[in-house]
Amino acid sequence: MNKSSRLSRKLNMQYMLLVIPGLIIFTIGMIVPLILAVRYSFTSWNGMTVEKPFVGLDNYIQMFHDKNAWQAWKFTILFTIFNTIIENVGALLLAIALDSAIRCKKLFRTIFFIPCLISPIVVGFVWQKMFSNVLPNLMEILGLNINTMLFGSEETVLGGMLIANNWQWIGYWMLIYLAALQSIPTELYEAAKVDGANGTQRFWNITLPMLAPALTICIVGITTGSLKVYDLLVSSTGGGPGHASTSIIYYIYNTAISGRQYGYGSSLSVVLVLVLLLIALAQVKSLRKREVQL
Amino acid sequence: MRIKRLLAAGMAIIMCVVFTAGCGNSGSSADKSSAGTSKTTSTTNSSSSENEKPVTLKVLAGQSTTDAGIEKMVDKALAKKYPNIKLEWECVDWGKDFQPKMQVYMQSGLPDIMIGKAQDVITYGSQGVLGDLTGKKCLSEVMDAAKTGVTLNGKTLGLTYNALYQGVYYNRDLFKKYKVEIPTTQAELQTAIDTFKKNGITPFGTHLSDTWSIGNVTMQFAVNEVFNKTPDWGDQFRAGKVSFQTSPEYKKCYEYNKLLYDNTWKDQAFSTEQTACDAKIVQGKAAMKVSGSWSIQNFLNIDENFDFGIFPFPNSTGNAKLLFEPNITLMKSAKSEYSDAIDKVFEVIGTDKDLALEICNFTKTASMLKNVIPTFPNPSQTDIDKYVARGQIQDVNLGNNQLKWGGFQEENAKDIAEYLQGKITVEEALKAADSRKANSKA
Repeated sequence: MNKSSRLSRKLNMQYMLLVIPGLIIFTIGMIVPLILAVRYSFTSWNGMTVEKPFVGLDNYIQMFHDKNAWQAWKFTILFTIFNTIIENVGALLLAIALDSAIRCKKLFRTIFFIPCLISPIVVGFVWQKMFSNVLPNLMEILGLNINTMLFGSEETVLGGMLIANNWQWIGYWMLIYLAALQSIPTELYEAAKVDGANGTQRFWNITLPMLAPALTICIVGITTGSLKVYDLLVSSTGGGPGHASTSIIYYIYNTAISGRQYGYGSSLSVVLVLVLLLIALAQVKSLRKREVQL
Repeated sequence: MRIKRLLAAGMAIIMCVVFTAGCGNSGSSADKSSAGTSKTTSTTNSSSSENEKPVTLKVLAGQSTTDAGIEKMVDKALAKKYPNIKLEWECVDWGKDFQPKMQVYMQSGLPDIMIGKAQDVITYGSQGVLGDLTGKKCLSEVMDAAKTGVTLNGKTLGLTYNALYQGVYYNRDLFKKYKVEIPTTQAELQTAIDTFKKNGITPFGTHLSDTWSIGNVTMQFAVNEVFNKTPDWGDQFRAGKVSFQTSPEYKKCYEYNKLLYDNTWKDQAFSTEQTACDAKIVQGKAAMKVSGSWSIQNFLNIDENFDFGIFPFPNSTGNAKLLFEPNITLMKSAKSEYSDAIDKVFEVIGTDKDLALEICNFTKTASMLKNVIPTFPNPSQTDIDKYVARGQIQDVNLGNNQLKWGGFQEENAKDIAEYLQGKITVEEALKAADSRKANSKA
């Protein structure tokens, strides 16, 4: 008994030694800034002076009366909901298509994945030009009267952002679904066929349940990524027109940095972190229940 | 087991060493290669030692699009006179990145030299981090008018190097063709608008996808409509004596934006960016554009023979002035240990007229040094000279120094964009500006 507990202690020591460097980096890079952000959120610090006047909960109270903060949350939540649905469904459909017996699978896989390698800043710039120059000229040549200037109006800017974002990332999540699809044992499908199940029944009763872990990863990943959308907005619309495409992260950056309201910006970011945590926890908890472990 | 333990310990040590090496002290004064030193250290380095020893000064340059490239010109001029002094440039976009960078450096130690705009002198000078240039040789050739906006509490804290002119840039050929006179009143402006519309020419070119352009033109309107009548309007605003909602003049400024929007390519305005807009002006698709000298580079790059002029946007009392904005402004860190070396760099930049000519010709701007007249073909120069001769020019920083750009003018511009798109009323946009009063001070 003593020998095994000594061995276990030694093993734990070794594990700790290996974990400590990463833990130090994580603490300095994530935990310390988080604690400092919470501290600054109770001040009216402007980011420049040494003094950080304590203001209590004023920043949090101000947030509830800030119309622009609510507008930023509204855009972010709408973007997240639509992006999560479109990207998941689209990625899954593409993965199913690529898992079937079509030709040039590898070529299509590469084509769909390449946009992920491009910086979101470049993607935003490219789509800004597409919507304002390339597509309008194309419509003119084709004699079509379709408005492609999606970034130019409050009504259509969300749609434009979804197109640009999905164009970039759908290939990435498609690969995750593809890997998950390829790990489903074929015997299950054969058994289902023998039992008389059609394609739709096999999809709902075998494919989807077996994809549950991948669904968890993709839904949580896309949701948290969408909630943090920023760089695409910087190079495409700059948060405009007006405040129409200002995400909460963009608003936090403008408030804290350009507006020199570090205290208020910190309070916005603390709330954002809490919201992200809650959403991620809720998603993981509800999705994990549906996962099938082999 | 022992070997495994040793291996695990060894790997952990290696990771720790790598981690700490990556976070090396960048403030070492012995490090000549990468980082300059701007920490609070003893300033006992003698000027005689700086004459011989190589010195590397860190420069943070917040640039407009037209300024990129001037650093090579400065390096060349500096190498001729002070070859032992080298500049390590960090060039960023002034509008997006200069302020964030300055805020980081305010905590970690400012660069030796900062290049921003004149309005930055008020922002950072009030924090006590800028060195005093009063009486220094570098200012001997700078126009007196250029020193006013960068002087705080009797100390000149910046070297203003060039200026942009802001107003209505117009296509001279279109004005001649349709016999349109330069408008000096709102009624004359409306006549010009009607004439162009009748002849199928869009009166104004706009690029509202760049929200900053809305903020810029609004301040242009405000200087002539509000600040020329009440020079301390911004201070009165913060004192609660005036407000955007109760100011008929500021309401007019917001409504001038509507006048531009109603007479531009409305369906494309919020999708058009600056270069595309400038190209349309040159192509004759629009007659006028409320802008600044930053458009000149685009105009001449598209067509070097493009004939254009400038006039001030008419205000309600018919006495609008042409606006100039002191642009490239050099500032010195108050706590740099290389104070003498910085003074030498500033001396070269502030007195070398060949360098000034080269930079102004490159950036297509006016020089703030005495007797430096740019030789780049600037068709609008005859108009500028006319307004200068009449004394009909005004420093736009009269407004910019009272109402800060980031967090105030920029946010107001977004509200104006919503007003133009019909999402909110002008009263709501003005109310939103008032709600930001606490965050308006430059």
